[in-house]
Amino acid sequence: MSKFIIQVNGAAYSSSASYNAYQFSRAALESGHEIVRVFFYQDGVFNTSSLNSPASDEFDLTRAWIELSEKYRLELVNCVSAALRRGIISETEAKENQASHWNMHAPFTMGGLGELVTGLESADRLVSF
Amino acid sequence: MKKLMIIFRRAPHGTPHGREALDLALLSASFEQEVSLIFVDEGVLHLLPEQQPEYAGAKDYIATFGALALYDIETVLACQSSLERFGLVNSELTISVEKVTSQNITAQLQVADEVLVF
Repeated sequence: MSKFIIQVNGAAYSSSASYNAYQFSRAALESGHEIVRVFFYQDGVFNTSSLNSPASDEFDLTRAWIELSEKYRLELVNCVSAALRRGIISETEAKENQASHWNMHAPFTMGGLGELVTGLESADRLVSF
Repeated sequence: MKKLMIIFRRAPHGTPHGREALDLALLSASFEQEVSLIFVDEGVLHLLPEQQPEYAGAKDYIATFGALALYDIETVLACQSSLERFGLVNSELTISVEKVTSQNITAQLQVADEVLVF
C-alpha cells in the first residue's frame, strides 16, 4: 500500500486534469491506498467553488470531491494565495477583505504551500494533474 | 528530506507557471528539502536579462532568482539545446547556471524523489 499526495493544477471543466485527479484519488482510496491530502494549486482552485453549477446531466466535480472527502475523511486543501488571486475565498477571507460573499466552505480548507511540501515529504509519491 | 526537481518549461509572464515554480522552489527549500531547478524548452527565457514584465501586467519575479543561493539552492541547470534554440548560448544570463545535455538531465531526473513540471 502506498501513501500519495495529489496535486490538482487544472481548473474543473477547462481540462480533464481535475477529473483525472478525482478518478485517480477515488481508485487509490478504494484500493486501500492512503492519500495524505489533495492540494488544489494554480487553476485547480476552481474545483473548490461552491458556486460551480454544472447542468444536471453533467458530472458535478465539486460535489464529487466533497463526497469523496466525506467517505474517506480526505483532506482537501486550497493553496490560499492561488485561490484568493482567482476569486475563490472562504468566509474568513471574505470577512478580512470586507467582501459580502464567499464561495468556498467545508470540507475544503485554505492552506499554504507548506502543506504541499510537508505532505510531499510524508508521502511516498506526489502525483500531479 | 526529499530531493525535488523543479522544471521551468514555459516562457515567463504569459502564464503564472514560472512564478509559481519559483515560489514552490523557495518555500520547499525553506522547509529543508533538497531542491534543484532546471530550465528547459521556453523556460530558458527566464534567464534573459533586462526583462520588463510590468509591461505585460505581470509582477517582476525574475529578480527573485538572485535569492536562490540564500536558500541553499545550488543545483541550477539549463538545457544546452534549448539555449541554442533561442540563441542564448553566448548570451549573458541573469543567474549562473550549469549548461547540461539531455543525458545529464535524464541522470538528474533519475536521482530526484519528485519532479514538478511548471
